[in-house]
Amino acid sequence: MKSFAKTSLKSFLGVPLARPRVAFFELSSCEGCQLQLLNNEATLLEFLALLEIVRFREGMKEASDDYEIAFVEGSVTRKDEEERLRNIRAQAKIVVALGSCACFGGVNQLKNRFHDLEWVKQEVYGSWPVDTQEAKPLSAFIAVDLEIYGCPIKKEEVERIVTDLVLGQQVRHPQYPVCMECKAQENICLFDLGEPCLGPVTRAGCDAWCPSNRLGCWGCRGPAPEANLTQLYAIMRDRGISQERILDRLECFGGFAGFVADLKKEKGEEGKE
Amino acid sequence: MLFKVFPKEELSRLYTLLAPDRIIGPLTKGRDQHGHPLYDFAVSRNFAELRLDYGQTLHSLKNFFLPYREDLCSFSFPKDGSGNWHKEVDYGAFVPLVFFGLHPCDINALNKLDKVLLEGRYPNPFYGAKRAKAFIIGHSCTPQPFCFCRSMGTDTVLRGFDLFLTPLDEVYFAEIASSRAFHLLEQLSCREPNDHEHRRYRQQITTRESLFEAQVETSDLTKILDLEFQAPVWQEWGRKCLSCGTCAQVCPTCYCYGVEEKVDMDFTRAHKEKMLYSCNLLDFASVSGGHNFRPQSHTRLKYRYYHKHRGFVEAFEESLCVGCGRCGQSCLAQITVPEVIASVRASGGNE
Amino acid sequence: MMIHHEKDPAAAGAQFEYSYQAEITNVYPLTSAEKLYQVQIIDPDEREGFCFQPGQFVMLEAPGIGEAPFSISSSPIRHGDLELCIRAVGRMTHFLDRMGRGAIVGISGPFGTNFPVEKMEGEDILLIAGGLGIAPLRSPLLAVLENRSRYQRVDILYGARSPSELLFVYEYAVWRQFGVGLDIIVDQAEEGWPGPVGRLTELLQQRIAGGVAADFKQRTSAIVCGPPVVFRFVCDLLIQAGVPMEKIFVSLERRMHCGRGKCCRCNIGSTYTCLDGPVFDYWSVLNLKEAI
Repeated sequence: MKSFAKTSLKSFLGVPLARPRVAFFELSSCEGCQLQLLNNEATLLEFLALLEIVRFREGMKEASDDYEIAFVEGSVTRKDEEERLRNIRAQAKIVVALGSCACFGGVNQLKNRFHDLEWVKQEVYGSWPVDTQEAKPLSAFIAVDLEIYGCPIKKEEVERIVTDLVLGQQVRHPQYPVCMECKAQENICLFDLGEPCLGPVTRAGCDAWCPSNRLGCWGCRGPAPEANLTQLYAIMRDRGISQERILDRLECFGGFAGFVADLKKEKGEEGKE
Repeated sequence: MLFKVFPKEELSRLYTLLAPDRIIGPLTKGRDQHGHPLYDFAVSRNFAELRLDYGQTLHSLKNFFLPYREDLCSFSFPKDGSGNWHKEVDYGAFVPLVFFGLHPCDINALNKLDKVLLEGRYPNPFYGAKRAKAFIIGHSCTPQPFCFCRSMGTDTVLRGFDLFLTPLDEVYFAEIASSRAFHLLEQLSCREPNDHEHRRYRQQITTRESLFEAQVETSDLTKILDLEFQAPVWQEWGRKCLSCGTCAQVCPTCYCYGVEEKVDMDFTRAHKEKMLYSCNLLDFASVSGGHNFRPQSHTRLKYRYYHKHRGFVEAFEESLCVGCGRCGQSCLAQITVPEVIASVRASGGNE
Repeated sequence: MMIHHEKDPAAAGAQFEYSYQAEITNVYPLTSAEKLYQVQIIDPDEREGFCFQPGQFVMLEAPGIGEAPFSISSSPIRHGDLELCIRAVGRMTHFLDRMGRGAIVGISGPFGTNFPVEKMEGEDILLIAGGLGIAPLRSPLLAVLENRSRYQRVDILYGARSPSELLFVYEYAVWRQFGVGLDIIVDQAEEGWPGPVGRLTELLQQRIAGGVAADFKQRTSAIVCGPPVVFRFVCDLLIQAGVPMEKIFVSLERRMHCGRGKCCRCNIGSTYTCLDGPVFDYWSVLNLKEAI
């Protein structure tokens, strides 16, 4: 993989281009986000030319600890992962949380719904000795410089972000929710089909991937900077969607944890319907 | 205006005559959870799939003139490292489009867009190029419960179409507004309308007028909006608003946009892309350095009403709203124009 | 190729996306945050044909990176040999900051309304700037100085956060040689700062008190630029002193993507900052909701 030619351009509009040394890491995750990067054959070579990849378990044998940017996939669910993460932070100039698990805990954090983690461990692993703790995002342990949202991440977005990093540019995330992108595709609103959807409160950037396939949004990219969750909750309840179903959705990826906690506190009693 | 009538069964012949161009019309898109059909404008494949009796489409047809995303220009950069660049502009008008079966509100919406996008000092050639290639056949409609076009003066349309059709018993009553439409009709078995048809046409108009339910009181609205700028009712609507931009996306006259520039990964090309935006979105009025002129959702929602119902009126002596009701129908928070304006009118010392 | 902005729609349409290629011929750091960019339209005919009025702005584009509006800080007699005072705050300006001398950018414009300096002939000119507001104010200042004898008193009241944030320091002596009264005040003094410390409005109060009151209100045309908070206090003082609202001019800042009244981002109520502004008289500003 190291043999790929560097980009022939050394500068853009007179500004020198960086070719950062990059390493990929995975904590508790499915490694699907990393796989996404390799999936894009059409632009893979161009993408690799932008970077000097020194560690990428899914694509190469070599592994070096000399890197500037660390892409970290997955959430922290074990003590040793905490330590590994701190070491990565110490080495990297830029730590990127790659995907919903790294950003919010992701699907892994669903186990945090159970108060008794010992019981969970017993149910899942039996007597097998496993070290496991509450699943948490990277930001619970280290400072994260950049978050790339999504379960999985969207390749085109990562390519744009990496291009920005090479240009030395601030990274842009859409400030609007998924509804904007869904409407731009002229989809039938999932609510018209009687389906719940978190599109109105979830950060866009996925091009309304799920709603365009008639699956309501599950909020994998977390809340948009302005997310009127109170109102959306009321709208869903008005439409006869049960609190349990709404909570399942809001809790799935961990991005709405704050709102869910408030809601549970507020509705503690009536929660069981 | 010239008027003709032709037998209803001739309409499919008109479709065939126009078929060498792309024909866009109201099609069934699917059904909602209660089994009611949902319509949208799309490229049609045959006459039979047109649903000319549609109530209202989910989305407007503006994306054929103002695509949700469109390249304003592209740049190419020579690989010599000179820092030089070349800019290319393509207005993106490729094939003539025929619009088959537009209601008066949507034709009026295009007329309004023409005012702001084609008149004045900087006509927008991206819009203009597509507009110039459009052939428009209007079709009368049955008012839906949410339609308030009559309040906005857009329930009838006087121009902006080539042909306007009103079904009368066995015939179509055709208003002809262009020579191309005139020559097309010559190829059908059409004739002058007789006295009976004149009467039937006028009866039809009266009947249709009686069917409108929703309405907006627009008298002195510009002044009332100014007077009630600080009315607390705006904050109530702001609390409901999801700031999701849906209203603007489905609106036939919302034309605001944002711009994003993207460099290709090999740094030899770049694109400046425009995307339709919405004044309800958080960063609509934010400037570099972080200041946001409209940080709260109610100020942004209010701004939308000010632009539609006050600002545009001041500039063009007509509202930018055509009363199609799509924004209210698609708003999950059920924020509708008639209700918002009624609530603002009820503010202050109006008891 | 001579290109002016014509009212003829066909001509204007053809240049909707037209930008002049321009070279950054020089970059002068003014403070730690702001730099003065000399930007020269490369084609000599286009450069000569580029005519603007003080107060107008251009859209400056770094291809592939971004485009943003900037007030022109240079004198109109220099045509397409422009000076733009730019603070690196956003994506585009940060990149511009790294582009430096020799880089080629795109310029379109000039856009918007201007300060009517010709109508102000025979009057006292009072230029009031807060912070970066001195940048759009420098163009009318230079235009007035080109025809210095046609004006009476010319005064600048300039407030900055600290002495090290003052812009165009090297030019103060030249301005004063032209008989410009320049009073500067800072929010926070630094070592060696000999001048006053306080608010811009204090300078204005002194200036109002110092002049013969009747003269002041009858002969003064004021130009006010700065952050939104400056406008209200300064303009209120001017109005209290009797300066008619239609003789107080401000330049407003908004987000813009087109400069041509099409993207709506700069709208204030019904008004496009790019077409109807950025220069407004204060009477118009009062009629704009949320303007300042």
